Amino acid sequence: MSLKAARYARLNETKLEISLFPFLSIFLCVMGVLSFINVLSSFSAPQKIEMTAQLEQGYKVAYQIFSLPDGIIRVPPTKHLKLLQQAVKNSKTVDQGYVEVIDEIIRQREQTMSRLERIVHSKKNSIMNAAVEPDVDDILDTMRNIRTLNEIALKTNYLYEEFLLFGIYPNGGQAYQKIRDVMTLTQDARAISIGLEPLDSNWTLNLKPRRK
Amino acid sequence: MKNLISLDSLTDIVSNSVGILIIFAVINLIHDNNKTFQLEIPIEHATELSPVFFISKDDRIIKLDTETIFSNAALQATSGTARNKRLFPLNYAGLLGKIDKDKGISFYARDTSNWEPFQSLDKRSSTLKDELSALNPKKQYAYFFVYDNSEDGSNIGSGFEAFRKAREYLKTRFVKTGWQPVNSDSPAHLCDRSFSQACTYLPSYLGGK
Repeated sequence: MSLKAARYARLNETKLEISLFPFLSIFLCVMGVLSFINVLSSFSAPQKIEMTAQLEQGYKVAYQIFSLPDGIIRVPPTKHLKLLQQAVKNSKTVDQGYVEVIDEIIRQREQTMSRLERIVHSKKNSIMNAAVEPDVDDILDTMRNIRTLNEIALKTNYLYEEFLLFGIYPNGGQAYQKIRDVMTLTQDARAISIGLEPLDSNWTLNLKPRRK
Repeated sequence: MKNLISLDSLTDIVSNSVGILIIFAVINLIHDNNKTFQLEIPIEHATELSPVFFISKDDRIIKLDTETIFSNAALQATSGTARNKRLFPLNYAGLLGKIDKDKGISFYARDTSNWEPFQSLDKRSSTLKDELSALNPKKQYAYFFVYDNSEDGSNIGSGFEAFRKAREYLKTRFVKTGWQPVNSDSPAHLCDRSFSQACTYLPSYLGGK
């Protein structure tokens, strides 16, 4: 009996030993990998630039043209045009024919934005592939539309002015120079303010979805 | 009986730390992905100020001393070297020139090794810094011809970074700046505005500033 009791007593004294080494090693590995991924992503993740269609400074609204080696991407503003149209409708002194003019410009611009969005969705957000060769007629149309809108806003006493903002990417100077050359051909361009900014190649364009 | 060291508290600390690090990493990644850069909107303005021209290429900047350049070009023109749109040495900072009836005098920058790197703006004293500091904001503005070329499509080797740095420096001194992208196909050129609309060199800045 005493031997049996002594054996039971020894068994009770034996503690269950769990090795924590595998657990710790997995944790440390996960931590290391995560830190590595984090450091890598902070180095390689391209910084995005704001490329909403609604870049504005007070009442001045940017019609953005991004100049890339393969051509240009036009990002026309649409946000305030409905309000301008409403202001024309409310005005008793302004020609109501302008309502249709604005309507047509809105339609054209929404088509341009839809085309960009389609490219973004079809090519996995690579909007940089949306660049097209600058077309002389398109540039002249753009100048005419901007001038028309600015004049309508002026006649309606509505605080709104569009200007051209060029974003120049490395090796994108050629397309920019072509547009500026075309702009010298038209009187419409002389009345339009122009801004230009140099952009880095690792700045990708961020086209936010339109809110309807 | 063995004397076991309890690892419970250590495990607890490590797992907590790992958890917090994971949360930080995730937040950081989300924050990075949503980070967007708001473009400044500098707009070209007509001005009474007179331009001082610079060329920015290969992360280097050179000031164009127009008086020297034009007198050198006139010498070359009278000697016949500059005829028929031929490139001729301007004897100024390794620049070659070309006289063209459409664009006035064009500048071709081949060798920029003698130009000062833009990093010298961080030094206490440098020729470039002295040249930029000498600009009088009430009478002058700086106009940059900025090379957009780079070998690999990046901005390394172009003049973008140098221009941004110089613009930033000049902003602190209230000197207005303007610029246009140039490259070997569309080189920097100087001509009179009455000559062509393309001969317009305007400063760009935020409205009212």
